Amino acid sequence: MKKQFIGVVAAGLSVALAAAGCGKGSASGDDSDGKTIRFVAAIYDDNTKGYWDALIKDFQAKNPGYKVALEMVDWAQMDRKVQTYVQTKQTPDVLNYNAFSDFARDGLIYKASEVVSPQVLGDFTPTFVAQAQYQGQQYGLPFISSARLLFYNKDLFAKAGLGGPPATWDDVKKDAQKIKAAGATGYGLPLGPEEAQAEFYSWAMNNGGGWVDASGKWAIDQPANVATLTYLRDLTKSGVTQPNPETTDRAKVFNQFAQGRIGMAIGGPFTKAGFIDPVNKNLNFGVAPLPSRDGKEHNTLGVMDVLAAFKKNGGKNREAVRRFLDFFYTAQNTSKFLKLEGFLPVTKSAGEALSSDPYMKQFVDALPTSKFAPTSNPAWSAVAGAVKQDLGSAVSGGDPKQVLSGIQRTAEKAG
Amino acid sequence: MDGVTKAGRGASSRPARLPGLRRALAPLPWLAPSLLLVGAVVLWPVVEMVRTSLLDISSSGTTLGGAGTSNYTDLFDEPDLWPVLGRTLLWVAGVVVAATVLSLALGQLLHARFPGRRAVRWAVIVPWAASVLMTALIWRWMLDNDSGVINRVLLDLGVLDKPVNWLAHPAQALLWMMGVAVFVTLPFTSFVILAGLQSIPDDVYEAARVDGASAWTTYFRITLPLLRPSLLIGTIVNVINVFNNFPIIWSMTQGGPGHATDITTTFTYKIAFFDKHVGESAAMAVVNFLLILLMVLLYLRAVRRPGARA
Repeated sequence: MKKQFIGVVAAGLSVALAAAGCGKGSASGDDSDGKTIRFVAAIYDDNTKGYWDALIKDFQAKNPGYKVALEMVDWAQMDRKVQTYVQTKQTPDVLNYNAFSDFARDGLIYKASEVVSPQVLGDFTPTFVAQAQYQGQQYGLPFISSARLLFYNKDLFAKAGLGGPPATWDDVKKDAQKIKAAGATGYGLPLGPEEAQAEFYSWAMNNGGGWVDASGKWAIDQPANVATLTYLRDLTKSGVTQPNPETTDRAKVFNQFAQGRIGMAIGGPFTKAGFIDPVNKNLNFGVAPLPSRDGKEHNTLGVMDVLAAFKKNGGKNREAVRRFLDFFYTAQNTSKFLKLEGFLPVTKSAGEALSSDPYMKQFVDALPTSKFAPTSNPAWSAVAGAVKQDLGSAVSGGDPKQVLSGIQRTAEKAG
Repeated sequence: MDGVTKAGRGASSRPARLPGLRRALAPLPWLAPSLLLVGAVVLWPVVEMVRTSLLDISSSGTTLGGAGTSNYTDLFDEPDLWPVLGRTLLWVAGVVVAATVLSLALGQLLHARFPGRRAVRWAVIVPWAASVLMTALIWRWMLDNDSGVINRVLLDLGVLDKPVNWLAHPAQALLWMMGVAVFVTLPFTSFVILAGLQSIPDDVYEAARVDGASAWTTYFRITLPLLRPSLLIGTIVNVINVFNNFPIIWSMTQGGPGHATDITTTFTYKIAFFDKHVGESAAMAVVNFLLILLMVLLYLRAVRRPGARA
């Protein structure tokens, strides 16, 4: 028995060593000349893959010898995949993602100036450049942006005897109660683990709250945030939201909104094409600024996704990456992507192209007042993870102050 | 262990002992393929898991160096850890006991002769043949408060007066998910028991009948003791499977709201991919692994009475 055990251990170790050896060999040896790059792109909707396929074909025709291997990843899988790529040293050359700062901190990615031409660098809108920096240097390449506004169902508002959309939090509650009396859900509140951090911040920023204080330190349990969460809890407890916001995701809210069963909900430019049109193209809805506590100043939640270029093979991939990125960042190629997917521009040259659509224009106009999650802080992804898991419980059993303090502790631990 | 080291030393200093070593190694060529397989798919991952739990891995996934035991101290500082462990034990015990009791009855039914037995046996396999993920997702939509069929039926029957969001309330959600786990565990368990029943020779029952034993006595004094080997195998496999079950809870509640329906496997996943703390997640996996080992050892000790053949 004992001898067998030793044999098993010995065999196991030798396999482990052999396999570890192979793993290292193949991970770095995928491309020797640096002319073939791997691009991991996020799936925004069914059109995304077709766009990249066509773009890459065009790129390869214009840059003979260079090749781009495309890998499409669903957003639901993205975090897990990216973390695994880094951990197993199989990072792509170019990654389309919503975070970059921990890559920059760990020295994994190029600075923006190393992988795009000065013209492209100068074309990014300053608001987004500020979001793409880590310790004063730009690492992320702004890719798309998005803003959030209040969607309201005009038919339900008329039925409930309401005029326009609410501007203050008190109005939101009153309007929601009237809509409820008219037989629908007043406000659709998705505080489930899918995107609780975006929904919460959309409210908190309009109450003077946020994730960090003026000096950039985590301030998640600040009084303004506690008051915001208490307000959302009060909305939930008074029964004007859909049941159990803590387990609801955005798809469910907007599915019901499109069916005319929810009066108000916060959505983005993609909401019409992605959620409303597939269910009911004729829905009579309007878009308004996010309500604020006092109704004076209305901030918008800005969201930005980035491209990040990973250092590989001692910088051999840089030329291919630069060619590919410069090719993508031509006005024609970027605005085509934005129009196809319903996102807002991050470059000056693509800006004008979108303002012609009245629906999109509302979001483009809201961008200057937008506030962003602190994505340039490398700890943000862990904080967002904690928010996704725990925030919702504050509107069901938990206590807002305690829940926020718990997240604050996580944030301080993460850095 | 001593035998090997002694033989090894002998090989270098005293050539006379060499045949002994050779005899010890003789079976190796035949065992090697399975040993390699065990090494590659069982031992290597365990080694990697333990190694990862001792590394300092940043939120991006970059290994920064050794972490000592800090991943373990972080893990034991988690306020959610003990509730999660307690819930895991409840989950395992509840699902395995319920599945075994139901399977004993189901096995007996499948063993009995009746018209259409073949069809019933096939039907019992269905939950096993269907993907667990698919089953769990279907249950999740059946339990939906807005469009789920279960609420519809209960409303129409007048049992409920308004829809219940079953999966949003931790206690209800856990019960429903345990129900789903029992449902997917039944086929395997009842077929193991059926196999056990078929291996009991008829003459034992004949002897019991001659001695005038009642049906209950026959079942508890003959059938159940003779089913021991099958029950033992079935329970161990089920304990491990249910303990490590991930898809049911992940697809139905994601362990939420908060951590209220997490078991160790979903908790491990959340630490790695929500909290971005891979090292601590590996530490949780090690704890999980040790717990399973411990439970199986305790169980084996509890059921292995002297003289019992198992």
